[in-house]
Amino acid sequence: MSTQYGQVLLVDNGGFFPEQDGYEDAAWFLMDAMKLLGVDAVGVSEKELRYGMSFLLANYKRTQLPLVCANLYERAGKKPLVAQYVIKKVGTVTVGIFGLTNNTVDLGPSRDSLVVEDPATAARRTVDELHKKGCTIVVLLSELGKVESEDLVTAVDGIDAVICGRNVPLLQKGRMIKQTIACYGGEQGQYIGRTVISLTPDRKLATGENDTFILGPEVGEKPEVLTLVKSFEDNFNDKLRKKEKEKALKQEQDRVNGGSTEQAADHYLGAEFCQRCHKAEYDQWKTTKHSRAWQTLVDAKKDANAECIGCHVVGYKLAGGFQTGDDAPKLGNVQCENCHGMGTQHDAYPKQSPRITAATCQKCHTSNTSPTFDFAVYEPHILHQVPAQMPDLPKSQARERMLGAGK
Amino acid sequence: MKAIAVRIFATLSTLAVVAVLSAAGAKAVSKPAHVLEPDKLVILSTTDVKGKTSPCG
Repeated sequence: MSTQYGQVLLVDNGGFFPEQDGYEDAAWFLMDAMKLLGVDAVGVSEKELRYGMSFLLANYKRTQLPLVCANLYERAGKKPLVAQYVIKKVGTVTVGIFGLTNNTVDLGPSRDSLVVEDPATAARRTVDELHKKGCTIVVLLSELGKVESEDLVTAVDGIDAVICGRNVPLLQKGRMIKQTIACYGGEQGQYIGRTVISLTPDRKLATGENDTFILGPEVGEKPEVLTLVKSFEDNFNDKLRKKEKEKALKQEQDRVNGGSTEQAADHYLGAEFCQRCHKAEYDQWKTTKHSRAWQTLVDAKKDANAECIGCHVVGYKLAGGFQTGDDAPKLGNVQCENCHGMGTQHDAYPKQSPRITAATCQKCHTSNTSPTFDFAVYEPHILHQVPAQMPDLPKSQARERMLGAGK
Repeated sequence: MKAIAVRIFATLSTLAVVAVLSAAGAKAVSKPAHVLEPDKLVILSTTDVKGKTSPCG
């Protein structure tokens, strides 16, 4: 691609802030990283407001990241929160890029400080202004959702490309909606959309096409940025681990002070307990990747990341389940109780089989975390009665990345 | 660990070199002919990154 194209823009739609409380470090780090990457424009959604307007504005000012949103205003004074658009001269083309955020969602801690204008009204005004300023291509970073984005470009003329975000399902190929090429989804930084616009002699859209690609191991890396990210992740993981321990200690003290020293009536027992009666099944499980799931998190320095832990341990944050890394020896890894249910409820297990279905696996093997998941291919690898022949598991993108990074 | 930001950076750093070379050419000759495909504009996009800097493992 680098040898084929000279006119390239990089944009992020927004929705890049973490979804958990207490993860502000990842938020500012991503703003730094995008600035370093030279991103041309970045949209804003309600997610970027989850740590408060002041947090976003402080980091906007600090990083000078080109945030854009044409319909988000401070309630007092009706001042736009961030730039409404940017205009970029890219080779022979003048491109206007603007963002829109959804006007029906809760803005969290900023709900009293901000107002969101009707997206179509803001779009018409902004497109008109961009055209008047000489833009021949107009790009919309939409955090409206799939249907809302499609409706908007149908109703508002003059938008040449729309990147659809906010819980948009991944579609590997985009499509033309009237005169607008649309790009769909591919979230959590695992995908990149590529929209190619063919230009007329007067630098306007002739045709457009879009594809979305997974960022697999074949995509190269820059050593200095790798070092930067790795250093951040290591420190962040240590910080999270410390916070987690402090929180667990406080909860334990509260429990004891409250007079309760008993464990929850129903709780997880761990595979070592199950093997007393199910030795053959336990031995087979020990040969599976599930039995090493915790170690993959430790290796990746993600063993304190709440977003990751749930699918690598037993009963994360549930009563009687894994609470902190101290529980790893007993409840680390994907064990018997992840699939079959809580050990103390053993007597209530249904007798008929099979009880494990695709839905059981898809709690963790989602399209984002496990895009190659196919129950028919994966199931034989976890069956306690191992089939004579098994299809090979597809290579895990995440695992490949980890292994690749170690080289 | 290969980070997502790293991957995007790697892709773009190559593109940036091309862009810089194109810009340098444009300054010298002031013609769009130095753009490799002057009739194409490419937009690379990410969306809803949700705080992820790399996969879980």
